[in-house]
Amino acid sequence: MTHDYWAWSMAAATLLPAVLRAATPILLAALGGLISDLAGCINVGLEGLMLVAAFFAVVGSVLAAYWLPGLPPVWHAWLGALAGVLAAMLLALLLAVFHLEWGADLIVAGIALNVLAAGLTVFLLSTLVGDKGSTASLDTPVLPALHLPGLQSWPQLDLLLNGEHGRGHHLLLWTALLAIPLLRLLLRHTRTGVWLCASGEHPQAAAEAGIPVKRMRYLALLVSGMLAGLGGVYLSMGYLSLFQSDMTAGRGFLALAAVFVGARGLTGTVLASLLFGASAVLSTRLGAAGMAPQLLYMLPPVVTLLALVAAGARKQGRAHRSS
Amino acid sequence: MKQATALPLQQRLQRQQALAQRLRLPVALAAGLGCGFLIMCAVSSEPLRAFLTLLTGALPRLHWGAGEGWQLTRLVRFGAVIEDAITLTLLGLAVAIPFRARQFSLGADGQLFLGALAATVVSLYLPGPWFVVLSLSMLAACASGFLWGALPGLLKTRFQANEIVTTLMLNIVAVQAYRWLVSGWLRDPAGGFIVTPFLPASLQLPVLLVHTNVTVMLLALPLLVWTSWLLLMRTTLGYEIRVVGQSAAFALQAGLPVQRTVWLSMGAGGVLAALAGMHISHGLLKRLPVDLPAGLGYEGLLVALLARCEPRAVPWAALMYAYLRTGALAMERSTDVSREVVLVIQALVILFLVAERMQPALAGGWLRWRARRVAGGRHDA
Repeated sequence: MTHDYWAWSMAAATLLPAVLRAATPILLAALGGLISDLAGCINVGLEGLMLVAAFFAVVGSVLAAYWLPGLPPVWHAWLGALAGVLAAMLLALLLAVFHLEWGADLIVAGIALNVLAAGLTVFLLSTLVGDKGSTASLDTPVLPALHLPGLQSWPQLDLLLNGEHGRGHHLLLWTALLAIPLLRLLLRHTRTGVWLCASGEHPQAAAEAGIPVKRMRYLALLVSGMLAGLGGVYLSMGYLSLFQSDMTAGRGFLALAAVFVGARGLTGTVLASLLFGASAVLSTRLGAAGMAPQLLYMLPPVVTLLALVAAGARKQGRAHRSS
Repeated sequence: MKQATALPLQQRLQRQQALAQRLRLPVALAAGLGCGFLIMCAVSSEPLRAFLTLLTGALPRLHWGAGEGWQLTRLVRFGAVIEDAITLTLLGLAVAIPFRARQFSLGADGQLFLGALAATVVSLYLPGPWFVVLSLSMLAACASGFLWGALPGLLKTRFQANEIVTTLMLNIVAVQAYRWLVSGWLRDPAGGFIVTPFLPASLQLPVLLVHTNVTVMLLALPLLVWTSWLLLMRTTLGYEIRVVGQSAAFALQAGLPVQRTVWLSMGAGGVLAALAGMHISHGLLKRLPVDLPAGLGYEGLLVALLARCEPRAVPWAALMYAYLRTGALAMERSTDVSREVVLVIQALVILFLVAERMQPALAGGWLRWRARRVAGGRHDA
């Protein structure tokens, strides 16, 4: 009995961090998608924002190491991460200017942004590295992991919070977890957050009430660029330590799906992101068990489709009951 | 100054708008290409030559040989432009029809893979005279494309599942199913690499231009473009598609079957994407490798946006894009600029094209500036 309990809890404590590791990029981007969606600006460009951030994080850190060799390597990683996030925010600003100032259709512009990001990263990759596949030939510094000391007496907790070899979890994983309460605080308990939601709920009424709708939308798109950028940086400086062409592999769209599955609520979005992370982990675990890889690749999209259908059915059920 | 402001306000505004409308596409193209040139200047050691190769690399070349007189060379390359343009036209139409109903269906990729797969399976395994098998292959492709296109539409109307997300997820499912079947059941054991057996010669689409893969699909293309235009502009369904696209709320109020329109428009797009798949399997490759070029659906989207979802403009947009793409291949081979710059240029063109208020603002500024200059000239005289 106690042995069983011990084994199960250890298994859970290894599995949960694996799910979190896979879910972190989706979660960060989904939070970004959520905030822009709440402000009334659906951000289809999350995928492109992540991709650009992942690329410029690697390029930034390598250039930092080249230009400032005197700094310790961790600083190069930090400068790279900063470059990645700034690049994503710049691209989000481009989207915001085109939509808010010049009336471009937000969805079309977002799709164009994804194409732009895919083309630009491969183009710059082949120009700077001379290889269209990845930056494997470059030595990329990685952002540090956070090790929580003093947990040796609770093995499950140690495994859960510090990972399998006690190395600790990636800093951005903690950032993603921290971003959830911060976002809640922002949306529920600050004036900016309330204004932001109001400009998404009913822009005309919000404008009548004196809320600067346009400024709120700029803010929302920039914050979504920042969060998606953090997700992208995690991909190239944590999940892997290099940039590959198209390394986001649809995670930006999974993040978008998470916002819809979560019915535009914070809790729902977080849970949906975790579900998508779990389906990715399940598909790799089953791959180790020897199933056909093509069928395994179908698993995450099928889970996403089912989740979307379930969310839609639930919403409809609710509408029926209330009417 | 007096002369300029003496024009009635309305007339001035109309002139502004007309100018902006007429100049919109050329300005967006020029701006996109200009940005592309700037990017090339930043990374290349010979940007001008690279840019010229991009613009002229796809053309056949007329040159003088001592023994042979005038000769046209590089026709194969130009044939590639036409092959590409056929695929892109079909994909552009496939995206344009749902877009007219404001359905952002990105599922052309999956529909293309499944269409190619269905047509190839029927062609390989069904015995019979060639015209029966070929038409059944086409039917199978259309049916699979329609189903795979209508499915996200049904998911949207039934469960409010966002079509951008569902079409992309269904793409992954379709592509993996394709790979699974080609690398397992359909694989030619004597093929060397993972590939299906060749289609029987009688089932390959007849070639029109020697040494290229320009097939009879080129002749079918005007018909398909015209049919799409007819569907959109001269049928009830087309009317419903356009009204739903303009305002779904209005269509609902007017009693139009909005839900049916949504999934039918997406299914119709799927049929055209599947035909593009059949063009690839029966016209270009004659057999199916395990990896078809991915991301073709996105390029169809760019073509549709460039044509502003007007079926009759789609072939020209496709031709232009195929021309640029082939030029980019030539550029990549002969200079230090890689071909992905075309994606960047295209995305920028789309951004400049959909930015509705950008050019009126610029045109208004220009007209004001001109009016001021004319007035200033008069004062001087």
